[in-house]
Amino acid sequence: MSGDETSHARDASPAISDADEDARNLLRVRDLSTRFFTEEGQVNAVESVDFDVRDGEVFGIVGESGSGKSVTALSIGDLVESPGRVTSGEVWYRNADLAEEIDDPEAVDGDFVDVRQVPENVRRSLRGPSFSMIFQDPMSSLNPSLTVGEQIAEAVEVQRRARANPRSTRSRTQGYGLADMLASTVLPSRSYVSEESRERAIELLEQVGIPDPADRADEYPHQFSGGMLQRAMIAQALAGEPDLLIADEPTTALDVTIQAQILDLLRDLQDETGMSIVMITHNLGVIARMCDRVGVMYAGEIVERGQLADVFDDPVHPYTQGLLGSIPDLDEPASRLQPIEGNVPDLYDHEMGDRCYFADRCPYAMEECLSHPPEFDTETGKPVDPKTDPGEHGARCVLANHEFRPEDALPEEYFAVESEDSSGSDREAAETEEVNTDD
Amino acid sequence: MSMGRFLLRRLLQGVFVIWGVVTVVFLLRFVTPGDPITFIAPLDAPPEVRQNIARELGLNKPLYVQYGEYLFNLVQGDMGYSYINSTPARQRIFNRLPATLELAVAASIVAVVISIPLGVISATRRHEPADYAATTFSLVGISTPNFWLGIMLVLVLAVGLGLFPTSRRAIGFLPAIEMLLTDLDPGGLVTWLWHITLPAITLGTYFTALITRLTRSGMLDELGKTYVRASRAKGLPETLVRYKHVLRNTLIPVITVLGLQLGTLIGGAVITEAVFNWPGLGTLVINAINDRDWVLIQGSLVVIGAGFVIVNIAVDAMYAYINPQVRSE
Repeated sequence: MSGDETSHARDASPAISDADEDARNLLRVRDLSTRFFTEEGQVNAVESVDFDVRDGEVFGIVGESGSGKSVTALSIGDLVESPGRVTSGEVWYRNADLAEEIDDPEAVDGDFVDVRQVPENVRRSLRGPSFSMIFQDPMSSLNPSLTVGEQIAEAVEVQRRARANPRSTRSRTQGYGLADMLASTVLPSRSYVSEESRERAIELLEQVGIPDPADRADEYPHQFSGGMLQRAMIAQALAGEPDLLIADEPTTALDVTIQAQILDLLRDLQDETGMSIVMITHNLGVIARMCDRVGVMYAGEIVERGQLADVFDDPVHPYTQGLLGSIPDLDEPASRLQPIEGNVPDLYDHEMGDRCYFADRCPYAMEECLSHPPEFDTETGKPVDPKTDPGEHGARCVLANHEFRPEDALPEEYFAVESEDSSGSDREAAETEEVNTDD
Repeated sequence: MSMGRFLLRRLLQGVFVIWGVVTVVFLLRFVTPGDPITFIAPLDAPPEVRQNIARELGLNKPLYVQYGEYLFNLVQGDMGYSYINSTPARQRIFNRLPATLELAVAASIVAVVISIPLGVISATRRHEPADYAATTFSLVGISTPNFWLGIMLVLVLAVGLGLFPTSRRAIGFLPAIEMLLTDLDPGGLVTWLWHITLPAITLGTYFTALITRLTRSGMLDELGKTYVRASRAKGLPETLVRYKHVLRNTLIPVITVLGLQLGTLIGGAVITEAVFNWPGLGTLVINAINDRDWVLIQGSLVVIGAGFVIVNIAVDAMYAYINPQVRSE
């Protein structure tokens, strides 16, 4: 597919060359786990995830529905809502100014600050300058009853106030008293946003390619088309001039031509601002087009990661191989697609044993896949400590260590039993997906 | 569409609605049993006397003539004279109207002031004790009958503790304000407040409970939407997210219900008026119906209908103000 060319072209760009040596990390995620505590039981949506995001790179997270990729995005953005909770792990953002201000030695490591260990108000002050997020459905991602310009301007305003008065950044209301709040519920809210912020909002709309930005700023979201709204969404996320943009399926709700435009826009903006992007998607084409490095998620875990070319050209994990096998090859139109049989497991804690979660769907499943969880190994066979070196190409699979021998394969009966109750767990999987995305 | 045109259209619609109300109310007399003459004339009155009464009241004319005359008089503000004691209907209705309006507005204020904060607390502290307290309160409030609540309030707060008067409307709101402005005497206003408190609570409790639930569920709905997440992601303080974004959107359905409720209250709250001996429209209408005093019934219903229409236009205007999607439709 054409993705290879794109990725090689990317390799040549200076931003990511010699990635292993010089590039500084912007985000370090270690052992991150997120759980949802539902009435049906505990759902392990994200399970011990490690990855790094470097300056100016696009890190892709790809996986099926229900694989936990969106929850991962929310977890690193500190936006998980009840009944979900980040239960363990560290999320380190590089923010030198903030690191200096924080006394707690546990929460600071050099220039890095651990979102999970700082108080709520500090956490909030990271939103905007350190990271921002865009979402799948632009229509529901903007407040329908405020003008688009107002919503962007208020994001600018919040950051402006924070800079003008760093002390109040940490305060609860950031210069907005409760009386202001209540008044803002009933009064025309524009008065809470300064003229400078409004002008900046129009600049931002122009920057994301919205024609007549000054006029469009006064329109409401329902007067925008989907593509324009996604641009406005991006403008809103850029208001805080974030180091990292977390893009959760930014193109899924758009039609194909608009998708390409939005991806180009993100790329251009990245070149302009030098920000990093975490791109969450189920679309391998988007990954191939956009990403420098990629992590493949399955059942809440990153099962394989590495440079885009390494992962796409030489996939180790059978799941990655399966994903790549399910893309139509335009050069060989006659060949049949090879879908991965079955579904993502439903991630309920009591059903998640000490084993490889993909074994039930894996054509190379062996006895040892069922007995213990595979280590995160490189393809060289050397176990890799994700805490020191999460950059190399590696897979969480026994096949990373040795070749598949047909005589080790699990007996046919194992799969026969599994497929019988898989019809029941299909529905559960669908429900889990709802839990993951809606809550 | 501009706000002005929006309102103009609503006003025109309102005129037609009121005309419809007048027509239906007028025709009602001819399909309801109970000839007013039976009530007016002595039991043993000879037919000539009855015919005289009918002629005097204009009841012997053809239907369309009666209708035309009624409409003609109505647009000039003449609602006719009571069959029973010949007082002008307009005077009797408009004497009662302030008491009804005061009670309706006071009950609505009680409801809004208590319910919206309660709903907000309940939604933002979901599954915490404050939420359980608020949901319990609203369940009890919705299921408590008005007359029982009114009687209990009188029994405990008025008779038992002597904090409030048991009944009566000692002074109107406007005279009380006049007293304050001309004599600089707040006594009238205090008396007014003192007398209206219990009826307002009695009448307002159900709506308080209703709007608490509505605010809570609406706010929970809104809090689950992606724009809330996006607002947090762009760095807005939680208070700003909650009040500027979420509460504002939650109020859209709340305002609709509030308007309908206020409209209903203008029709009078017969039970509350009866418990507190409150001289409102509700009791007037009930008495008029008992007497088959059609002039008074028609007049009251027309006024109530017009009040309902006016409140709804006001609600529409607020709704359009707060919800831009309505304006552009």
